[in-house]
Amino acid sequence: MSDLVLEMKHVTKRFPGVTALKDVSISLRKGEVMAICGENGAGKSTLMRVLSGSYTYREYEGEIWINGQKQQFSGIHDAESCGIEMVYQELNMNLVGSVAENLYVGNLPGKGPFVNWKKLYADTSAVLRRISLDFIDPRTPAGMLNSGQLQLLAIMRAVIKKPKIMVLDEPTSSLSDNETAILFKLIRELKAEGVSIVFITHKLDEVYELSDRVTVMRDGEFISVDKISDVDENMLVERMVGRKIENQYPKVRAEIGEEVLRVEHLTVPHPSIKDRNIVEDISFTLHKGEILGLGGLVGAGRSESIGAVFGQITDGVSKKVYVRGKEVLIRRPGDAIHAGMGFLTEERRKSGLVPVFSICHNLTLCILDKLAGGKFIRAKAEMDTAKGVFDRLRIKAPSLHTQVINLSGGNQQKVILGKWLLDSPSILFMDEPTKGIDVGAKAEIYTIMCELAAQGVAIVLISSDMGELVSMSDRCLVISNGRITGELCGDEITQKNVMRAAIAD
Amino acid sequence: MSKQKKSIIKSILSMKESGAAIPLVILAIVVACINRNFFGIFNLMDILRTASFYLMVAVPVTFLMSAGGMDLSLGAATSLGGVVCGTLLKAGVSIPVAILLALLTGIVVGLINGVCIVRFALPPFILTLGTQYCVNGIINVWTNGLSTTNFPNAYVKLGQYRVGGIIPMPIIYALVIALIGYVLLQHTKFGRKVLAIGGNQETARLAGINVIGVRISTYVCVSAMAALAGVIYGARFATVQPAIGTGTEMTIMASVIVGGTSMAGGVGTIIGTSIGCVLLAMITNVLIMLGVSAYWQSFVFGLILILSLFIDRYRQRLLKA
Repeated sequence: MSDLVLEMKHVTKRFPGVTALKDVSISLRKGEVMAICGENGAGKSTLMRVLSGSYTYREYEGEIWINGQKQQFSGIHDAESCGIEMVYQELNMNLVGSVAENLYVGNLPGKGPFVNWKKLYADTSAVLRRISLDFIDPRTPAGMLNSGQLQLLAIMRAVIKKPKIMVLDEPTSSLSDNETAILFKLIRELKAEGVSIVFITHKLDEVYELSDRVTVMRDGEFISVDKISDVDENMLVERMVGRKIENQYPKVRAEIGEEVLRVEHLTVPHPSIKDRNIVEDISFTLHKGEILGLGGLVGAGRSESIGAVFGQITDGVSKKVYVRGKEVLIRRPGDAIHAGMGFLTEERRKSGLVPVFSICHNLTLCILDKLAGGKFIRAKAEMDTAKGVFDRLRIKAPSLHTQVINLSGGNQQKVILGKWLLDSPSILFMDEPTKGIDVGAKAEIYTIMCELAAQGVAIVLISSDMGELVSMSDRCLVISNGRITGELCGDEITQKNVMRAAIAD
Repeated sequence: MSKQKKSIIKSILSMKESGAAIPLVILAIVVACINRNFFGIFNLMDILRTASFYLMVAVPVTFLMSAGGMDLSLGAATSLGGVVCGTLLKAGVSIPVAILLALLTGIVVGLINGVCIVRFALPPFILTLGTQYCVNGIINVWTNGLSTTNFPNAYVKLGQYRVGGIIPMPIIYALVIALIGYVLLQHTKFGRKVLAIGGNQETARLAGINVIGVRISTYVCVSAMAALAGVIYGARFATVQPAIGTGTEMTIMASVIVGGTSMAGGVGTIIGTSIGCVLLAMITNVLIMLGVSAYWQSFVFGLILILSLFIDRYRQRLLKA
């Protein structure tokens, strides 16, 4: 057992309200590649942040042993001096700086205050050759590179510090096939040099191609670790999703009627990466009384799809939207509202509430122009309108005049839901409607969803909560990398099937 | 008992308007003790007239800042309005037409500000600083820096006439504008949209509110009212100076913030703005009465602007608690 370079023992990490890691222990051998798999929120990234010193040793419970010695990291620097390098999913690049400067940031060659530019550029060229990017001039601004090249650059930035342990967080998510091949060759070389590598991935074929062992995590807990030859894909998927669904979903199937919404050829450009689409030519339909689940991993393009249909995102979007068979042009959210749509966004604070407003004023925001009184607002009429939905949703607050900022997450969400319900939408998009709210409020929201469906409202439910998605959906679409990779109906809607489609390429 | 008292004090302090109202009352009492003439009817009218000139523009600025905007070019727009009106009157144009054209130039300045800031997403602080310089430049080229005077009597009366021999016309104008502003902000759908945009622009946009149109209109209102204020200034002094509005932007923004309108947007009060304007006018008056050098005025106004930011911040904390 002397070849253990890393042991993490009984690591528990708590955030206010949630325990992100529960007593997780893992170990890593010299020169091995270990994959870590799990759903969104399984705790993979949190575990690696503990390892890389992003959380100081005071912020979690448990121990880290490197080469048989206990270590306490007070910051990323301490972890780096123990030979641990982590490459995050979000690339920290100075896009106006040159490739060379980005690569050697923090340890530019030279004496005193002077930079030895000649050596810097020569070294950079050598590094670029190693990842087959030698056609790039080291003086090029990093912003000229595409996302895949930047990802490779970020990895090399870690490699040139000669780490003993490297952590890669979903390194291939922005790489082309060709670049992935380059990365895999690099990883094999590093492995041969005795570097131990942990990589987080959702792609099972990569797990089988590269790794020696695979660890599965779920809901912040360690589930299993196996030699790659001992497990098949089926077992891995089962372990990733193998959670019991408690009977907390008051699902009532409504009668499903005619088609109310058809979206064709929806394409949305990636918000931060040039020449890439986050949603790639998807089409779907939605029926009266139906709850259509939209599953997939975070970043797969689910929110962007709905945002583009609703007119929240417009730049470079191409789409055809039909409501009850008639094409509608949606250039701004007002057009979508006019066509009978409502959109409960994922981010309550950012795009759902007006925090300084009272409950009443938040509730009537979407129907301002429909309120009685012409150009004027009649306070009494407004209050009466708001009171109806306030009572119906059982919003818990001292009065309608209470500021929404003083409410709990669940009640805030009910206010946002109420805001849309006042407009009596026939199509309601709900993006992570129960994220961060308590169990009681969750159940109430599910009940309301079923009531709405029974009244004939067509609902699209985006959810990363597997249990919720599987239990509430009448039909479920799964999106991966901006494409629909699965359409499940009735009994086919299982955690396993959703997960399979979500990690499909 | 003391707890109750404390909560009363806290609720007064947390009222939007208290930041201006409390200092106003204290200052009035202190000054009245020092100088008996302070509460004389003509001194009071003088203070209120000064406040009126601030208030005419501060009302639309309250809308602008409630929607999260700001405008440094309003002083230049004031000068422009005065100069356009004065020059046209000298050229023999009739009074209504001259005023209308002055208003129109104000609208143009506001449209330029609004379209650039909202459509092209440019930073309002720097952009309106730019328009301020451009407008002042045009005025100086046009007038050679010279004042215009000898206007028709009917025009001068617009600024100098006193209702009942006591109340100057500008006070009447300001009261009417404040009243309209109050109703517009508190009791109309437009006002609610302005506040919603300032409170959370993305939420407002997703609720189907025409964010771009509403925001541009707040810029247009400010410049248009500023130009009209320039017209009244010209009438009040029977002279149009090319620099008549220079520096008023700071005074006006200070009175709006002191009055309780939040720099962060979403909260606006016309009553507070009115109190803020009176407070700043009173401070000017007191400084003159006490014989303090005029040079100190700008220091004091700067200090008040900074203080009002702290008050604004304190109030926002209370909101969150």
